[in-house]
Amino acid sequence: MEPGAEGREALTDVTMRDEGKDVIDVRGLTMRYGRTVAVDELTFTVRPGLVTGFLGPNGAGKSTTMRAVLGLELPDAGEALVDGRPYVSLRRPMHTMGTLLDAGAVHGGRTARDHLGCLARSNGIGPARVAEVLGQVGLADVAGRRIGGFSLGMKQRLGVAAALLGDPAVLMFDEPLNGLDPEGIRWIRDLLRELAAEGRTVLLSSHLMNELALTADHVVVIGRGRLIADTTTGELAGRFRRDVLVRAERPERLAEVLRAHGATVTCADAAGDGLSVRGVDAAEIGALALRAGVALRELTSRSASLEEAFMELTEDSVEYGARPVTEAAR
Amino acid sequence: MTDVIASEWHKLRSLRSNAYLLAASLLAVLACAGVAYLIGRGFDHQTAEERLRFTGNGNGLGTGLPVAYFVFGTLGALTITAEHATGMIRTSLVAVPRRQLFLFAKIPGLAAVSLVAGQVLAFAMHLAAQAVLGDRAGQLLLDGGTLGTSLAEPGVLASVAVAGLSMAAAALIGLGVGAAIRSTPGSLVALVLVFLVLPVAAQALPSPLRARAGSYMIENLPAQIAGVDGLLPPEAAAALLAGYVAVALAAGAAVTALRGRRVKALAAGAVAVLLTGLVVVPASAGAAAGPSSLAWRACPGQDAPGDLRCASVEVPLDWAKPAGRKITVPVAMLPASGTGRRIGTVVSVPGGPGASGIDDLKQFHGRFAKLRDRFDVVSLAPRNTVEPGGPLPYDCLATGPWITLPGDRAEWAELTRRNRAHAERCRAADPELFDHMDSASVARDLDAVRAALGEQRLSFLANSYGGHPAEAYAHLFPARVRAMVLDGAATHQETSAATEPRLYARLERQLERFAAWCRSATACALHGRDAEAVWRRLVTAADESPVPVRNDPSRAAYTGFDFKTAAGPSFVSPGREPDVPRWVQLASAIEKAAGGDASGFADYVRQASGSPKVPSIAGQNMTHCLDGKGYESYAVYREALRKAAEVSPNFAGQRSWWPLACAGWPAPVTNPPAPLPAHGLPPFLAVGSWTDHDEVARAVRRVPGSSSVRYEGHGHTLYLSGTGGCVTAHVNRYLTSLRLPPPGTTCPATA
Repeated sequence: MEPGAEGREALTDVTMRDEGKDVIDVRGLTMRYGRTVAVDELTFTVRPGLVTGFLGPNGAGKSTTMRAVLGLELPDAGEALVDGRPYVSLRRPMHTMGTLLDAGAVHGGRTARDHLGCLARSNGIGPARVAEVLGQVGLADVAGRRIGGFSLGMKQRLGVAAALLGDPAVLMFDEPLNGLDPEGIRWIRDLLRELAAEGRTVLLSSHLMNELALTADHVVVIGRGRLIADTTTGELAGRFRRDVLVRAERPERLAEVLRAHGATVTCADAAGDGLSVRGVDAAEIGALALRAGVALRELTSRSASLEEAFMELTEDSVEYGARPVTEAAR
Repeated sequence: MTDVIASEWHKLRSLRSNAYLLAASLLAVLACAGVAYLIGRGFDHQTAEERLRFTGNGNGLGTGLPVAYFVFGTLGALTITAEHATGMIRTSLVAVPRRQLFLFAKIPGLAAVSLVAGQVLAFAMHLAAQAVLGDRAGQLLLDGGTLGTSLAEPGVLASVAVAGLSMAAAALIGLGVGAAIRSTPGSLVALVLVFLVLPVAAQALPSPLRARAGSYMIENLPAQIAGVDGLLPPEAAAALLAGYVAVALAAGAAVTALRGRRVKALAAGAVAVLLTGLVVVPASAGAAAGPSSLAWRACPGQDAPGDLRCASVEVPLDWAKPAGRKITVPVAMLPASGTGRRIGTVVSVPGGPGASGIDDLKQFHGRFAKLRDRFDVVSLAPRNTVEPGGPLPYDCLATGPWITLPGDRAEWAELTRRNRAHAERCRAADPELFDHMDSASVARDLDAVRAALGEQRLSFLANSYGGHPAEAYAHLFPARVRAMVLDGAATHQETSAATEPRLYARLERQLERFAAWCRSATACALHGRDAEAVWRRLVTAADESPVPVRNDPSRAAYTGFDFKTAAGPSFVSPGREPDVPRWVQLASAIEKAAGGDASGFADYVRQASGSPKVPSIAGQNMTHCLDGKGYESYAVYREALRKAAEVSPNFAGQRSWWPLACAGWPAPVTNPPAPLPAHGLPPFLAVGSWTDHDEVARAVRRVPGSSSVRYEGHGHTLYLSGTGGCVTAHVNRYLTSLRLPPPGTTCPATA
């Protein structure tokens, strides 16, 4: 599977657009809380036509960055622009950027229709559009019910609906998959890809790589407020190619040959017939095995999963509690 | 902008809890009705005099207002704190990133709802309280108010409407507080403090600090804005209410503008703005009178109440020569207590002539207690005060010749000579002063006092002969008269001869009352006899052959005229009922005199004057005669006497005693009687007892809109003597609010 392929096509498609148009542009953003530096000279750009994942462990500064983009927090240095302008200077911002920050940040006493109605009205959007997005997110049947009785998944859908109200060219979602059931996750992935395919700029944050692996074309990884990676999903995965799994008729012999050739060979599994080989690539292993007359049953070049890549990238930057998990995972 | 306002309106109306909250404001109506019920129940168990001492329930909103404020304040606070509590604030600010706009967009919807609901609630509260009080609402109270005030009364409609308006202010204050504090419980605590605890705490302060602190409380601002109650002038009260809203919203806006961290500096700024507002606005709200040029100090004498202040005013002796010789007029003031907004100055004009108003204030200061909620009460010892130590010899002023009824021109000339001789004796010490003792000069002195007080206008309580300077003031300075109460006041609009027939009728009526009393009371020495017949036989026989005063070295003897002169005041004023001591004394004296001994009369006359027969007091005549109380000629006298014989079989001649004292007076008439001007004066209020009412009511008749109150019993200067709280209540009501009772109003006699 090649997650980046579709995205690259989209990228070429949108390079025709104006520079800065419909992008989220974070430049040298620095935010401090007392002595703690939450975001440290962070610079990245989120481009149209792609689903961009915003990745980092809990406490890495993702939400803070997003809040800065929205003008909810003032940066100590740097700036965050949407469509080339500070978000707070937008007169009807929902038409430019749709946002889902926290699906729980709603008043439980209002009905879904009223909640969206209030938000829509503030940006000059009519009730017809409210009905439309409610249908789009599958909440049409419960539009008249009070949000207080909604499940987290329904609230996420409601939050997505709110983001879509202004039919914006830029969308920003903070952990939109939280609390969704598998059907909901599939729905939102499809929706996001669809939105990106329409040429929109889509940024979604997550602390779980595997959530993004199937969705994002591009990832921005941060840890402790700093940029760690800003690359395509495929490139990130490729960067952590790890070893080659070999199963052979005579593994001991092959291991001997490979070691003699400078490779590191360890047992790949408990059964003992699989070898994990590093230092030489699959083609070279094949050639060496032929020369040594060892028959190969399997030869697989193994790359790390995105999840593992992300863990490796951020292992120095997790703020709390993540380290034992990381170690356990290794 | 309008989109955001519409959005906030949608938010407000889409929460069912807001409707419940508004419904909870009906608690305020219950509170008002409950308090009115308790007042009414207490009221029903009291006597008429005790009822006068009740504290009014005003427009009935009092107790309910803080409840209503709290509910509306909560409504306002929740519009923002609920957003903070649910996190909705983030969603909202993402939709509307301009924070001030977001906060201020909440104002129109909130204001609209609370304006409408506030009006409905305020009128419901008022109507509930009035309905529960029922007929009792109209009961007049000692301070001049009523137990409940209906919408028909001036300022009440406005005060209820402004109270409704103030609920919108409470909602906006709640919004500001909520925006500043951000948390619902924190805001509720703040609102409880502001709307419920603070007013109660202010009530616990000592007076008059209590009134001053109370006047800053939001619940007391509507009445002050409507001008019906309180210390602050309407503009200041309105400014304060607007200021509270502005400060709360400014604090809310300042905190809302923050993104996260720069809290401390701005919060401190908001607090500073709040404190500045609280200090500046009330400071500008005080002071009503202009600058007083009087140097007030404590009054000398043991008998002066502690808060009586004394000063003096220098005036020209002769007002026609303002640059000429000056005399000093002592003045005294019972300052306003500071518990209500000061209206101005009430001048108590003393009677006599010759009495000191300062003595009145010393003796009767307690009568002015309620009036002093709104007024400084001022009086003076007028230039014609008869007391020891003055420039004119007191011994001369305090007595005078006996007056006789001249039977012919020779006797008239003899009386003239006698009068003139005594007057000249008194006059010799300071002729210029003696010739300027008329009531018009006193009136001009009063205006000098007014100017010295820094007042534009004065309100008057004219007692007895004080009616003369008061009427003179009305002639001279009609535009300076704010209000005028004539309390048993002697009127100065007709000649003595013209008033005599009515005053004889009064005496005849009093004789009937006296006789009726004698028929029923065993305390009357003439009980069982026809008192009227005994009296008539006595005065008729004495005119033929005077009745000697036994055991009197001066060998004085009483003519019928002497008996009439000595008995007149006792017939008019029987003394405190039901004992009527002066009638008891009078009956004994008559009984004794009928037996041939006038010493019963001579004894009490001597007690008062040191003389066995009533002397004509020069100190009074020096004003009477200049005020034109004398007969213009012998012929006028004869005509008056002839008429008297027609109308008054029992007292004919008695009324001539005063005018005859001026025959031969050395100083000319300078202040002759004249009708009050029919234009340019505010309506007057006349109050009087059985014996005074008709004359004072007649005196104010020419002044359009005037009215009178008749006290159904005996008495004179009812306000000062505190006879009947009902009279005091009507006078206070008039002086305070310029509202007059309907014509024909009476006050029941009190035991």
